[in-house]
Amino acid sequence: MRRLLPLLLLLLGIALPAFAQSTSSPTQAFPYTLKTDKLPNGLTVVRVPYPSQGIVSYVTVVRVGSRNEVEAGKTGFAHFFEHMMFKGTPRHPEGERERILGTFGFDDNAFTTDDITLYYSYGPTAGLPQLIDIEADRFRNLEYSEPSFRTEALAVLGEYHKSAAAPFLKMEETLNAAAFTKHTYRHTTLGFYEDIKAMPEAYQYSRDFFQRWYTPDNTLLFIVGDFDDDQVMKLVRENYGPWDRKTSTITVPTEPPQTQPRNAHVDWPQPTQPRQVLAWHTPAASANTNNAAIQTVLVAYLVGPTSPAYKQLVLEQQLVESIGSDYVDHRDPHLFTLTATLKDERHRDRVRLALLREVSKVAAGKVDAARVKAIQDNARYGALMALQTPRDVGIQLGWYAGILGTPDGLQRHLAHLAKVTPAQLSEFTKRYLQASKLTQLSLTPKVDTAGGTK
Amino acid sequence: MKTQTLVSLTALLSLAGCASQQKPAPEHTPPPAQEATATPPVEAPPLAPAEVPAIPLQQPKPMELVVLARPDTPIVTFRLVFHSGSIDDPKGKEGLTALTATLMAEGGTQKLTSAQLLDALFPMAAELDTSVDKEFTTFSGRVHRDFLPRYLDIFTDVLLAPRLDAAELERLRTNAISTVENGLRSANDEGLGKAALDALIYEGHPYAHYTGGTVQGLKSITLDDVKAHAQRVFTQDRLVVGLAGAVDDALKQSLLSRLGTLPATGAPRVTLPTVTATSGRAVILQKQTLSTAVSMGYVNPVRRGDPDFFPLAFALTHLGEHRQSIGLLFNELREKRGLNYGDYAYAEHFIEDPGTTYNRTNIARTQQDLTVWIRPVDPSHAVFATRGALYFLDQLVKEPIAQERFDLMRGFLQGYSRLWEQTDPRRLGYAIDSLFYGTPHYLEQYRQALTKMTPQSVQEVLRRRLHPAALNFAFVTQDAEALANALRSGQPSPITYASDKSQALLDVDKSIIGLPLPVRADAITVTPAQSFMEK
Repeated sequence: MRRLLPLLLLLLGIALPAFAQSTSSPTQAFPYTLKTDKLPNGLTVVRVPYPSQGIVSYVTVVRVGSRNEVEAGKTGFAHFFEHMMFKGTPRHPEGERERILGTFGFDDNAFTTDDITLYYSYGPTAGLPQLIDIEADRFRNLEYSEPSFRTEALAVLGEYHKSAAAPFLKMEETLNAAAFTKHTYRHTTLGFYEDIKAMPEAYQYSRDFFQRWYTPDNTLLFIVGDFDDDQVMKLVRENYGPWDRKTSTITVPTEPPQTQPRNAHVDWPQPTQPRQVLAWHTPAASANTNNAAIQTVLVAYLVGPTSPAYKQLVLEQQLVESIGSDYVDHRDPHLFTLTATLKDERHRDRVRLALLREVSKVAAGKVDAARVKAIQDNARYGALMALQTPRDVGIQLGWYAGILGTPDGLQRHLAHLAKVTPAQLSEFTKRYLQASKLTQLSLTPKVDTAGGTK
Repeated sequence: MKTQTLVSLTALLSLAGCASQQKPAPEHTPPPAQEATATPPVEAPPLAPAEVPAIPLQQPKPMELVVLARPDTPIVTFRLVFHSGSIDDPKGKEGLTALTATLMAEGGTQKLTSAQLLDALFPMAAELDTSVDKEFTTFSGRVHRDFLPRYLDIFTDVLLAPRLDAAELERLRTNAISTVENGLRSANDEGLGKAALDALIYEGHPYAHYTGGTVQGLKSITLDDVKAHAQRVFTQDRLVVGLAGAVDDALKQSLLSRLGTLPATGAPRVTLPTVTATSGRAVILQKQTLSTAVSMGYVNPVRRGDPDFFPLAFALTHLGEHRQSIGLLFNELREKRGLNYGDYAYAEHFIEDPGTTYNRTNIARTQQDLTVWIRPVDPSHAVFATRGALYFLDQLVKEPIAQERFDLMRGFLQGYSRLWEQTDPRRLGYAIDSLFYGTPHYLEQYRQALTKMTPQSVQEVLRRRLHPAALNFAFVTQDAEALANALRSGQPSPITYASDKSQALLDVDKSIIGLPLPVRADAITVTPAQSFMEK
């Protein structure tokens, strides 16, 4: 099965809404206008006027993440490559980006996920011409030396070590390895530790990675803030127009259906709270289904702050410090999770069964419509509250566009959320949150009396 | 593993965000002595002051109102800032202020249980939070004006009629203890290093204990303690009321008249003692970990409002603005040498505002600290990295910042500082801080001051007010004894690289490798992380 189907369809200009130019109007949930153009080379350029008095955010999302890492030994590369994107070009050698953008005071950063890599610069509109020039140049002509590459690999290793202090990275690694047997979601965004340590040797591969994925037809650009649209589009066309690579196609292995419950366990060698995770295989997020919206509502319904499970386990019985979910929208089928941070190992089963009971109720059709409506109100107002700056707007737009493969991904997601019905929650739960598709992860602290530092 | 809200920016940014940049061009390397652009000072720089007195912050009038209304938003922002914090914790009950504030904000009101409070706020997507620092406690709220009347009732009830029930106290106490035992000591080496440095440089001072409390302090707190403490420290005479966004006169009057029923006064203000400046002390917290976290700093008499603060802040931004790749330390230690994930420097106490790279507002301090943060390094590089940070700090005292670099950093701060004030909560925060520091229009004043600075004027301030020899150190590492021995011995800390380095870099390394660290061999303490903040 070709997991890249949505992307291929995008390339062929069918199935997904074809647009050369479009304008979307403000809605109650998203009170901003999107002006969208697609350049002949396939680059999608979205501008969003925002009353920010001379401040602009500039967000580039590339539809590449650890999901694309199909070669053995090369996990973590999308994230590593994000680091390398700051290393200069023949025209702007290493260090020059900093001088040019630094002069204006841009906050200039990026992050990588399983599915996307998102770059953002946030600062004064006065620097926008220089920013467009230097951004287009790096996406077209990135070039760095092998010593620079080798050194940066050590910073990535440092990032791994920093993250390894808390149990979450180990938990995610263990859960993914248990839940996925074939799909690249088997490894985390940071990648396997052994692969990270081997990164300095992969210089040539990194060059190929750039050619393969950093292409205009695999990239969306969002410019949000206070700027002259005509002037900006002129500069964007001039600078990005000659970018001419085509994205690669790879086959991301399809995850075979899970047919039996699975268990995984972590012994954590330091003091920490016991933890329990329930994870079911569920469908991908996509622009034309409400699967992501249903799962978003379901998280709030099952373990949100107004859920019976929260009231019972957190507030009344005080068996857990917290309950929640790590559910994140993904391009391919991923996991719907419920998580519990326990106060005492002895209550593990009680908590686990209480969560499963809540799932069973929904599967049996017992859904409180008033609570669903409250969740939808929370989603609508929460979206408004979350968009406080052009940076917020740009990153949210970029995130959903990257996952869903359409520039209006955020608006679609919000529209889907408003339409979720109690019956849909029930049907989805019955269909996907089944015992046979469940992987359970437990974590227990194993500390010797001397403090566990052998 | 955190609950992911619908569109939580913080959650998005915490997924796998990372700054990644490039090294500066060669001219940004500290120039060799013969290229120095200024005549080296003939006299040695003055020593750090032996004492840092507690010169009180200014006191706004009771319930002073700060309003930043704007017509183009439907959101109302509340920010109530009390001049009360962990310094108000009674001895033996460390954590009382934070636990009291949390119980008020989360534990329900006399009309609503904690569960009903959540039910009421949820459909509004309204925010109601509290945060506690050494001297300040903030109750903050945001709500869409569609829900303002109902929210105003709830928000003010949290302060005026909190439920303060025993079961919720137990729940939140258990969480607070877990935060120390499982979070700080065990799962957050970077935070642990920073808290350990605080405890070291403020030893014996009300700032010394972790704001969230000590394990024994938290265990000893009773419900009566909480009830009494709320009346003692959340009083009108300590309160500044901030309102922003969709605000009108009716809201102002309604809020003020309700808050007028808070106790007028409570406990007498805590008199902060003079800090006797220590230097050269090191604490090494021992725990199982792959890498070594490093924090260093000293108590600093220069705070906002001091004419020397702006030049000092500018220089520390040049050295290492938090999570910005433009800093000198970031470029030298991370980008060129690959030692770790980041290296930063701070002219005043810094706590990252969640979801941003900016300092939190309303964490003002009477006695500030100046710190450098080295994110975790391979244990074999811990001493080298520490020396490296010290070397570049030393350079600031010895030589003016090169003009080109100076101009770059000035431009950077002119723009970047505007990002600090892009939201209503942050704008309110700055306005409220300005009342206590006596620095009206603080950010605008900073930008004005930048236009008048020169490399020479900044360096003159640094020579007088920056004291690398005054540093103290906190490390979090697994092989604590090996690190202690390395520090005691003063032996060189050579380094080899897996890739080619420029001769200029290797020449700087020669100076770093043997640089004497200001660590006194008799002032190195090794402590198991598991005993940190026990009492």
